[in-house]
Amino acid sequence: MWQTAVDILGPDVARLVAGAIGLVALVQINTLFLVWLERKVSAHIQLRLGPMEVGPHGILQTIADGIKLLGKELITPRHVDRKLYVLAPIVVFTGVLSCLVVIPFSKELQVRDLDVGVLLIFAFSTFNVLAILMGGWSANNKYSLLGAIRSVAQNIAYEIPLLLVVLNVMMWTNSLQMSIIVETQSTIWNVFWMPVAAAIYLICATAETNRAPFDIPEAESELVAGFHTEYSGMRFAMFFLAEYSNMFIVTAVATTLFFGGWKSPLWLDFLPVPGVVWFFLKVYALIFVIIWVRWTFPRLRFDQLMNFSWKVMIPVSLAHLVVYAGIIKIIG
Amino acid sequence: MGLVRDVLVGSWSLITGMAVTIRRYGRRNVTVQYPRKRLEMSPAYRGHIELVRFEDSGRHNCVACGTCVRFCPTNVIKVQGEKEQARSKKRATLYFIDFSHCSLCGLCVANCPTKTLKFSNEYELAHVCRWEGVVDLIRRVEASA
Repeated sequence: MWQTAVDILGPDVARLVAGAIGLVALVQINTLFLVWLERKVSAHIQLRLGPMEVGPHGILQTIADGIKLLGKELITPRHVDRKLYVLAPIVVFTGVLSCLVVIPFSKELQVRDLDVGVLLIFAFSTFNVLAILMGGWSANNKYSLLGAIRSVAQNIAYEIPLLLVVLNVMMWTNSLQMSIIVETQSTIWNVFWMPVAAAIYLICATAETNRAPFDIPEAESELVAGFHTEYSGMRFAMFFLAEYSNMFIVTAVATTLFFGGWKSPLWLDFLPVPGVVWFFLKVYALIFVIIWVRWTFPRLRFDQLMNFSWKVMIPVSLAHLVVYAGIIKIIG
Repeated sequence: MGLVRDVLVGSWSLITGMAVTIRRYGRRNVTVQYPRKRLEMSPAYRGHIELVRFEDSGRHNCVACGTCVRFCPTNVIKVQGEKEQARSKKRATLYFIDFSHCSLCGLCVANCPTKTLKFSNEYELAHVCRWEGVVDLIRRVEASA
C-alpha cells in the first residue's frame, strides 16, 4: 500500500500525507488520553474517583465529551472581529501540527529530520501566542482581552529563559538537528550534564503552556475562562486540543533535548523494547509531573509571575549559559 | 545572599508540597460511586428525628405530651395521641414532622421526657416537592420493627 502511494504521489508527497494523517491522529488520541489522565490524577490526589461511568475506569469519557462538543452550536457573538475570530482556532492548530513535524518519535519514526529542527519548533510554538491574542482581541470581551494580554506578556517573559537554556544544549551537542541531539546522548543524558537547565526548561515550559501554577491567562476565578471565554463547540475544542498538544510538544522537546529521546536508559539496554515506547514513556512521565504540579500548587499573582521570570529565571539562565560556555570551551 | 536563600527555601517547600500530594495519590479514596455503593453513616450524623424503638417493649414510648411541639422553634412537629385504656397514659398515634422547616436544632431530642426521640441516619433528603419533606414517624418506627 505504501508502495502504491509512493508510485502515485511521489515519495515526498506520500510522506507528507502519511505524516499529516499520523500527526492529526496522534494529536486527537493524545488529547483524549491526557484529558482523561488529568481528571484521574486530580481525582486521586483529592481522594476522589474521577470519571468511572463511560468505559472501564471512565477511559471513554473524553470520547463522549468530544462527541458532545462536535454537536454543539458554534456561537458567534455580535460585534466580534469575524475574520480573526474564526481564524484563531485554526491558527492555533496549525502551529501545533507544524511543531510535531520534527519530533523524533524513534530513530525511523520522524516526519522530517530538518537540520534546523529545534529552531522550527520554537518558531512555530509562537503561533500559539499569536492565536491566543487573535482570539482574545477579536472576541470583543473584556475577559478575553485581559486573558490574551496576560498570555502574551507571560509567554514573552518565559520564552527568553527557555531559549537561553536550550542554547546550552545547542552548544553542547553542536547541532540543531533533533536526531543528532538524541544520538549525542547515547551514553549520558544531557540532564545529568545540566540539571539546572533541565529544571529551568520544565518550569518555563509549564509557563509557556499556560498551565497552573502559571495559568493566569485563563484564571477561572478572575477571567471566566480567559481568551476562550466566547468560544463554543468545536472552536473551543480546537483551543483545548492545542493546549494539550502543546503540553505533549514541550515534554517531547524536553525528552529529546535532556532525557535521551528514544534511547533506553543505559542499564536497561538489554531489553528488546522499541525506541518509540521509551520515547512515549518518558514523555508521559514528564506530563504526569506537570499534571502533578498543577494539582499541588496555587496560581501565582501576575506581578509574582513577572518578577519570577525577569528577576530569577533570566539572570540564572544567563549565568548558566556563561558558565557552561566556559566549561565547554575548556573541555572541548 | 537573601535571594539565594529564598530560592533554596522556596524550592524545598515546593518539594514538600509535591510529596504531600503524591502520598495522597496513593491513598484509598474516600468517595464511592453513589447510587451503586453507599457509605455507612457515622452515628454522630444528624438526619431528621425519629422515634426510638425500645428493646424491652419492642415499641416507641411517646406519650404525646407535646413538649417537642412547644419547644420546636419552627413548628415542625405535629403529634396526636389517645389512651389505650382508661387511666393509662396517652400513646402517640400520629407523629408527623415537616422536615423542610427543620433546622436540626435538637431541642425536641434534648427535652423529650421519655427519651423516645433521636436523630436518624437518613441522608437522602432531596425532594422534588415540598410535601415530600413530611415524614410519618409512627409508620417509620413500625416499619423498622
